[in-house]
Amino acid sequence: MRYVKWAVWGTIALIIGLFLHYTLPQHDVVRVVGTYQERQDLTDWTRIFWSSPDDQSGTLANRDVQFIQTIRTNGRPMVYRNEDTGWSWPPYFKFDTASLQTEADDLRSTAEAPKWAVVTHYGWRNELISIFPNAVSIRPVEGPDVTIMPWFNIFFFAFLLFLVVLVRKMWLQFRERMIDPALVDAGQAWDSVEARAHAARKGARGFFGRTQAWLNTWKAKK
Amino acid sequence: MIGFLRAIVIWAVAGAIAYFILRIYARSLRREALEKEWDADPKGDAAARDAFIEKGMTDYEGSLRNRLLLIIFVLPFIVIATLLYLVNYA
Repeated sequence: MRYVKWAVWGTIALIIGLFLHYTLPQHDVVRVVGTYQERQDLTDWTRIFWSSPDDQSGTLANRDVQFIQTIRTNGRPMVYRNEDTGWSWPPYFKFDTASLQTEADDLRSTAEAPKWAVVTHYGWRNELISIFPNAVSIRPVEGPDVTIMPWFNIFFFAFLLFLVVLVRKMWLQFRERMIDPALVDAGQAWDSVEARAHAARKGARGFFGRTQAWLNTWKAKK
Repeated sequence: MIGFLRAIVIWAVAGAIAYFILRIYARSLRREALEKEWDADPKGDAAARDAFIEKGMTDYEGSLRNRLLLIIFVLPFIVIATLLYLVNYA
């Protein structure tokens, strides 16, 4: 039973962790090598990894998506998609896709004369199912080894911790003020029922009570 | 435009739920504090205790602290406006 409990909690923690890892912003130091635009099919299950911008029909079977090609500091390639999130999930409220593409184009550089930039993005890159992280913003930096403080995530997790503590305190308050008194009431009600049953048993004494009790011993045991 | 309205409605509903739950919690805390205040130094019988607590709760209803909770309604929209600015214009 203990293993089942741990498996359930582990699964819940894993799902929450994956969800946060996909949704929260992350920073990559990269060198932009190019941008392109490609028509994407939106009809299979990987649809969930593409945005649904506001100004687009929900029944669209495919559409053009902009991409930013980069090389990371470790020399490996990373390709970002560049899509509006609009008003929908995740709540980045990104509407400046065209401007971001222009900024990325402006930062284009070669391996010989690299211009480094920090790309803020969310999402995952997976070659097998062709999904791309969505670039949210890009800004030039001095060199490949800059330190980036994830301010948003610091505030986010501080707020999350605050929420968890608050919900726990609320629940304890609710239990103390509402559930425990109700349990005490129920306990008192049960005590009075038992007292009445006790009185009834007392009444069953005397001659008839004893006779009745004796007759009952002949009845089939339930 | 539909997406904008939908987002507004969803965030407003979330704010309203958070507001009412926090309101109940804050009132419960206040009532408990009033009960403890009376029990530490009782000045009468059970009826006087009830009257004391009810008066304290009525005072609390009009207090600034209770009204400040309304900020929760505004909070999601401040966050959205900040994110909009930071992501698109900063």
